Amino acid sequence: MLELINRWIHGPKGSKDEAKSRLKFLLVHDQVDLSPVELDAMKTEIMEVISRYVNVDKSTAEFRLEKDAGSVALVSNVPVSRVVARAV
Amino acid sequence: MSECIVITSGKGGVGKTTTSANLAVALAQAGNKVAVVDADIGLRNLDVILGLENRIVYDLVHVIEGECRLKQALIKDKRNKNLFLLPAAQTRDKNSVNPEQMRGLVAQLKEDFDYVIVDCPAGIEQGFRNSVAGADRAIIVTTPEVSAIRDADRIIGLVEAAELPEPQLIINRFRQKMVDRGDMMSTEDIMEILAIPLVGIVPEHEEVIISANRGIPAAYDPESVVGEAYRRLARRLCGEPEVPYIALTNGGLWSGFKRLFGMTSGGTA
Repeated sequence: MLELINRWIHGPKGSKDEAKSRLKFLLVHDQVDLSPVELDAMKTEIMEVISRYVNVDKSTAEFRLEKDAGSVALVSNVPVSRVVARAV
Repeated sequence: MSECIVITSGKGGVGKTTTSANLAVALAQAGNKVAVVDADIGLRNLDVILGLENRIVYDLVHVIEGECRLKQALIKDKRNKNLFLLPAAQTRDKNSVNPEQMRGLVAQLKEDFDYVIVDCPAGIEQGFRNSVAGADRAIIVTTPEVSAIRDADRIIGLVEAAELPEPQLIINRFRQKMVDRGDMMSTEDIMEILAIPLVGIVPEHEEVIISANRGIPAAYDPESVVGEAYRRLARRLCGEPEVPYIALTNGGLWSGFKRLFGMTSGGTA
């Protein structure tokens, strides 16, 4: 009973959310045929290019694939700290 | 106007053969003339689920290779005069048949039957290509598990690539109790991910194992919960899309009381 009340207040704490998020992750990677390892390699290369122009904090940069209405998008969030002095 | 429906899933062991057998029985019980085809060449099982394994003389490969006529290979189910099985070959492999031959076979069956149900083998290779070749539409069977849904997603793409209309979904081995406590993905969760129309929900139930032991599909048992799920599936497929799904919750106080005192057997979860 206590467990029931607890669940009513906090919502279900079962394993299904984990299943769902793992599944969503799998499906986007399946669809674009890009493994998490390859995504990571891509992230490293892109970060190299970006850091030639601006200062970026590599630890907070985010790169992930998201599926929305059938199509997959590469979503990235790269916080920029300051512009690098360019030798132009 | 007859129709060929392929039952597929990608992953093995999710219940394609059980679904094919029960859907065929339910459609035949509703008065349709039905042929159910085992396309799993080399690993035939549909005959066993239907309890017709002792009556096989000729099989699908014999028909395709012209060793017998189609009518000689079709096994009539004595429990229902409307239902016929075309068994798979057990000692051949999937490459003994090609999609063009399957298309011809299905076309021939459609001349005599209202529904042709094709039980597709697991996988995405030749067996899958053969199974979808003659189909007018596909039904995808999945279970509420990560691996089965992942494979279902892959198969949806392949069905669309085969230029069939948008497939429909059956969720098999559904356990309402586990969904209620957050340990199983709900029908809404699954549909959000797969984004195809739902056509059936079949609860996990020990009746399925008992009926497989006996070779009598649950759809033959008017008292069976699972049988009722398949009967409603058949009605939904035959132009009654509004037929409700069976009640998956465990009911009110009275059924709770009955469960408490062990007055019911089995259960859906």
